[in-house]
Amino acid sequence: MTLFVKDGAPVIVQGMTGHQGMTHTARMLKAGTNIVGGVNPRKAGQTVDFTDAEGQVRAVPVYGTCAEAREATGAEASVVFVPPRFAKGAMVEAIEAGIPLIVVITEGVPVADTAYCVALAKRRGVRIVGPNCPGLATFGQSEDSKGTNLGIIPDGIVKRGPLGLVSKSGTLTYQLMGELSDIGFTAALGAGGDPIVGTTLLEAVQAYADDDATKAVVMIGEIGGSAEQEVADWARTHMTKPLVAYIAGFTAPEGKQMGHAGAIVSGGKGSAADKKEALEAVGIPVGRTPGQTARIMRDILTKRGII
Amino acid sequence: MDLYEYQGRQLFEEEGIPVPKGIYAMTPQEARKAADSIGYPCVIKGQAKIGHRGQAGAVKIAHDADEAEKLAAQILPMSVRGHKVNGVLLCEAAHIIHEYYVSISVDRTSRDYDVLATAAGGTEVEDIARQHPEYVKRLHIDPYKGFTLDDAKVMAEQIGFYHADNDQAAQILLKMWKVFSDSDATLVEINPLAKVGDPDDESSKSLCALDSKVSLDGNAAFRHDGWKRFADTAPADPLEERAQQHGLHYVRLKGQVGVIGNGAGLVMSSLDAVAGAAQDQGTDIKPANFLDIGGGASAEVMAECLSIVLDDPNVKDVFVNVYGGITSCQLVAEGILEALDKLNTTAPIIIRFDGNAAKEGLETLKAANRPNIIVESTMEQAAAAAARIAASMEGNGNTQEENR
Repeated sequence: MTLFVKDGAPVIVQGMTGHQGMTHTARMLKAGTNIVGGVNPRKAGQTVDFTDAEGQVRAVPVYGTCAEAREATGAEASVVFVPPRFAKGAMVEAIEAGIPLIVVITEGVPVADTAYCVALAKRRGVRIVGPNCPGLATFGQSEDSKGTNLGIIPDGIVKRGPLGLVSKSGTLTYQLMGELSDIGFTAALGAGGDPIVGTTLLEAVQAYADDDATKAVVMIGEIGGSAEQEVADWARTHMTKPLVAYIAGFTAPEGKQMGHAGAIVSGGKGSAADKKEALEAVGIPVGRTPGQTARIMRDILTKRGII
Repeated sequence: MDLYEYQGRQLFEEEGIPVPKGIYAMTPQEARKAADSIGYPCVIKGQAKIGHRGQAGAVKIAHDADEAEKLAAQILPMSVRGHKVNGVLLCEAAHIIHEYYVSISVDRTSRDYDVLATAAGGTEVEDIARQHPEYVKRLHIDPYKGFTLDDAKVMAEQIGFYHADNDQAAQILLKMWKVFSDSDATLVEINPLAKVGDPDDESSKSLCALDSKVSLDGNAAFRHDGWKRFADTAPADPLEERAQQHGLHYVRLKGQVGVIGNGAGLVMSSLDAVAGAAQDQGTDIKPANFLDIGGGASAEVMAECLSIVLDDPNVKDVFVNVYGGITSCQLVAEGILEALDKLNTTAPIIIRFDGNAAKEGLETLKAANRPNIIVESTMEQAAAAAARIAASMEGNGNTQEENR
């Protein structure tokens, strides 16, 4: 299993019939994701036509609840596109339905709602990715498999390869995927830019460390919190694969939120310089720009004979 | 969103956390009246969203009405380390017998809520944590289970309140939790939580919140009427306000290169790239702003962004960095051209496109044949060009006003 989801796993979309949901359901299906249902209590019983990766029309049924969708389809993952005020309800519903992986794209979820859902998910053995993230994309493990695209990560940037990527930022994910597109990835996971997220940078790095197909890991961090330091602490004694990092926000002033809810240096804590120092202290190189980060990774892979 | 002390205090009072008698005033005359009604001596506290106000001279004690008015007149126009004083809070001066520190905050690492407390208050909690870590208790509240009076009683014991204070401390902990959860706070801090009263009269002694520090979660504003009652009366940066009206996130910095990009991470990275390139070039050029156009931006949004960035008179040139995921570089290109038509600016615009419709966008820009549009193929090259051009314009004493 590549990073938290099997190839071809059945997937439902909460908020599928909204504008974002429709756009990205169409895109995910084209990318080869096995979307088997949507959830919207007001449109239960309807179907929505999409075109799948083979160019075939697929009538995707809409269910009233996650439990009904799970019962009817055996969904193993849900992608959440609902507005912030409904995100908690959507997450709780998916957790209660026993869907093992919930990918939350929604930006602007109150931190208390996320904290509640993450605590509940932990109790039920459910994994949340996000919120406020571009999602999770895995790249097919064999010639005839396309992998699974859960969220808004554009497909077609990269192919299957030996790299794993985890990031707090969407566009920087695409940027690094673009820089290293010739080498390829096993998966890319957007951890999200909120103060509390369901899957941390560390959990993703640990999953890549355990994944045989992943030979090296790219981590993209940013100001705020100490998720990068947690990776450094763990990697010091546990990480055997090459890990290269990039941190955004060296020029961010103290006390100003830089776009993401979690991207803030406060009380002198969470600065990019501190994160860089912590990572470099345990031998994890930190690139000055995304481009340089990619070059460092390329050099390491060449030296180790991975490419 | 940080609150002023008097606003946080308001939340405490509503929940029944004991606070000293206090009145907020915005003029020296109001302060005089307020001080008279509180009685003397009276503490005058400048309201600014920053700590260590006392050390900065923004907290004073008045012994009569004339002194209260005079001190308020001194404090009101002050700034504390760049944070403007927006008013004064007049409080009755309490006799402090002992000081505790208690805060509840979001713990990003353990993904729950942290209660940080010490019975050895009176100085900086960070200093105590460094010198006597055993005195500082760090306890947790489970976001799923919540927090009850029984939990609060156990916690008060663990923190080490004096036995006589335990019951009241438990009540206050529970009420702090209510403020925290009901108001969607990310921080509720009482420093000091003081034992006040007459040292010789046991019955007069009680715990009282002598200060408040509260931060609210901006993402939860939708379920609190937008926190209209806490809206800041201080004028916001006009460009930040304008960006906000368009649903854009703009932060004004102090440099010369305007920066526009899609996605918070890429924009932060672009700022760093400009500053890094300038450093390599041996200049002190810096980014002028952070501006994220968001996902799937239209031509109109892009045009508005360029107009906002160019309204900053410090801006010499603009670096536009877009990696099209949902966002189409073609639409961004159309927006840039639209804005240039409208604004009639000659400021150089350095552009780097990649991803969705990058080829189409670059062709559109090329066809428009504008002398001030410069296209670079990588983010690093574009950042370097933007830094170099800004430096050469500054070196020539060439201001943007002259350019226009």
